[in-house]
Amino acid sequence: MRALIVDDELHAREELESLLLETGAFTIAGLCGNAVEAIQAIRKQRPDVVFLDIQMPAISGFELLSMLDDDELPAVVFVTAHDAFALRAFEERALDYLLKPVGRERLAKTVERLRRLPGVEARQGYPRAEIRRIPCLAARAIKLVDLPDVEFVRSSEAGVYVVTAKAELFTELTLKVLEERAGLVRCHKQFLVNVDQVDQISIDEGLAVIRTRSGKDVPVSRRHLPAVKARLDL
Amino acid sequence: MKLALQLTEALSVFLVIFYLYCRSPAFRPLKPDWPRPRGKIRLYLVFSGIAILGNYLGVPVVDGQAIVNARAVGSTLAGLLGGPALGMLVGATAGLHRVTALSGAAAFPGAVSTTLEGLLGGLVHLALKRRPEQLMTPRVAFATTFVGELLHMFIVRYLTSAPPEQVIAIVKAIGPPMVIANPIGAALFMAVLLERQREQDRVAATSSARALKVADRTLRLLARGLGREAAGELAAIIREETGVGAVGVTDTERVVGWSGMGSDHHLPGNPIASPYTRQSIAENAVVFADGVRQAYDCTVSPSCPLNSMVIAPLQVDGAVVGTVQLFEPRGRRFLNMNKSLGEGLGAVLSSQLLIARYQEQKSLLVMSELKLAQAQVNPHFLFNALNTIIAILRRDADRARDLLVHLSNFFRKNLKRSSDVSTLREELEHVGAYLEIEKARFEGRIAVETDVDPELLSLEMPAFTLQPLVENAFKHGLSEVLGEGRATIRAYRKDGEALVEVEDNAGAWTEPRERAGLGMQIVDKRVKNRFGEAFGLSVTCVPHELTRVTVRLPGKGVAA
Repeated sequence: MRALIVDDELHAREELESLLLETGAFTIAGLCGNAVEAIQAIRKQRPDVVFLDIQMPAISGFELLSMLDDDELPAVVFVTAHDAFALRAFEERALDYLLKPVGRERLAKTVERLRRLPGVEARQGYPRAEIRRIPCLAARAIKLVDLPDVEFVRSSEAGVYVVTAKAELFTELTLKVLEERAGLVRCHKQFLVNVDQVDQISIDEGLAVIRTRSGKDVPVSRRHLPAVKARLDL
Repeated sequence: MKLALQLTEALSVFLVIFYLYCRSPAFRPLKPDWPRPRGKIRLYLVFSGIAILGNYLGVPVVDGQAIVNARAVGSTLAGLLGGPALGMLVGATAGLHRVTALSGAAAFPGAVSTTLEGLLGGLVHLALKRRPEQLMTPRVAFATTFVGELLHMFIVRYLTSAPPEQVIAIVKAIGPPMVIANPIGAALFMAVLLERQREQDRVAATSSARALKVADRTLRLLARGLGREAAGELAAIIREETGVGAVGVTDTERVVGWSGMGSDHHLPGNPIASPYTRQSIAENAVVFADGVRQAYDCTVSPSCPLNSMVIAPLQVDGAVVGTVQLFEPRGRRFLNMNKSLGEGLGAVLSSQLLIARYQEQKSLLVMSELKLAQAQVNPHFLFNALNTIIAILRRDADRARDLLVHLSNFFRKNLKRSSDVSTLREELEHVGAYLEIEKARFEGRIAVETDVDPELLSLEMPAFTLQPLVENAFKHGLSEVLGEGRATIRAYRKDGEALVEVEDNAGAWTEPRERAGLGMQIVDKRVKNRFGEAFGLSVTCVPHELTRVTVRLPGKGVAA
């Protein structure tokens, strides 16, 4: 199995890597120190299983899961040192989790379980946290855009871009994820709009255009117009 | 006229006797005594004596058939002060004496009228009972006696069984002097009585003033409770302020402090020997022995010079916790103490003890809160620390060993008694152990800088002031930073104060959530408890840029 390790602590990553290699059941697809790196790595490496720490800076393990499309979601083994809330969620949903420090015997059980149930069926039940900010790339740094600041999102050949009053930033998240889990409204095949940022909407000969609060135009397709109107209470 | 002068002379003798009575220890303030039977008996005896004396000091006229007398003063005053029954009783007693002991035609009518004058005084008493400040005035005494004496003359004129010309001679002889002199006499009596009453009030006022002065000096002292050291100082302060011969302080079983005479045998630690003290504790009441009617008799040493005392119970929440006792030596004529001073001191010191108890409980509460917070060692930290050490053990056993030592140091310091004061140096050591672990956990992600004025290393603060702030910076700040986290610990002086700061570059501080806020609140509360409201915690936050928590401490006491 190809495993990806996601943990914000260097030594914790290294220790888990050693433990996984010792079992002989895994090859290591990558080591990630935060959720943004993890999204990229999951897309690129397509690992079979992710060992995911819950408490991570800026974006928690649960938020990370919300940011992935269902079809790109690998099997997940949650890893935590102590988190009463998370542990309860795992127990309720019969999900596999490891407690740090991880013992060899316990890890052997996880390996067995993964071999038996490599399937997708359990994945629908992963705990997810609501998306409150969108991780974006600005130059070489990662910027977290708060959801209320987003005016609209557009996709193009080059990728998905989050547009705020001040900037336009590239993000790894897909339009589908943002539409389904961030509450943005689809107004066009290639556009999502934040209804709280709509200033006006003009409809001319069946062609509608939304103007945002900072004065940017967003096209509304004929197909999506009724849904947009409904969301705007028109 | 001559008769009037003679009667005035007789009245003067009364006044002198009455004045002396008022000054004697037998005199009790009248007001609170009035309604009680014991007080009435005393009034009856005193005024009957005055009225009978009035008979003897009178001047016989008209061949001894009548006496120009001052009997009426006694019965009228008795009526005014004690009501109709007492007035009539005094009048009847003196009248009976007049009839039986001294003869004369005017004896019987005189007896009747004296009784009626007592009744008249009593009626005035009833009329003005609700307004004693109007009843107890020379004017009322004068008017009542004047009316009474006119009545007296009327009765003598029509009730005397003697030839009419003799009756008229009697009335002419005794009338003017008695109608003029007796009201004046009664007014003077009342004046003396009032003066004495006022004096009593003044003494009470002085006692309260003295009790308050003691209170002023003992407030800080009793904040420490009723320990032996505080009790000794308390006794000394009370003795200094009151000027009494000796002052003792006891708990419910032993002497805990003594100052002044008899300190050779009244030793702190001795069990309570005096029955008066035990009485005061048992009855929760002030016990007074003036040395005359009731004397203090030292049961410890026969050579003890003390013979009068006032003992006041000290109580907290209604329960007696000890006593404070004032003593004067034998032979001191004017006592520097009295019952009301004892009462005042007892009340004031008791309330101070209550304050002390309250403050103690308040600080206990803070301590237990702190213990609770400490006992809940952050499990997330502990398991992550162990995980880190286990990981490092694979590659670098020496470093892992060092980290385990840091971890034990950290927990050992956490167990230190929280009431302790610690210096900035000790706080930095505690934080240092914590930082070593966290630096290893977040290897390569977090940098911590320390910028401390070395002169402030001996700065004192409540133990566990710095550690919770640093822990907060990690838990809610640095561990949430995606890029590089930076923290700075600073200590410096500014405007005579010492400031200790923990700053991080996360800028993640929000209004304290319940758990996160508790640690900070305790730190703030403990600093304020120790140094006052001007000191404590403040937070500056620039979102996403920095959070700075500053502890303001007094800069005094640290070498400049």
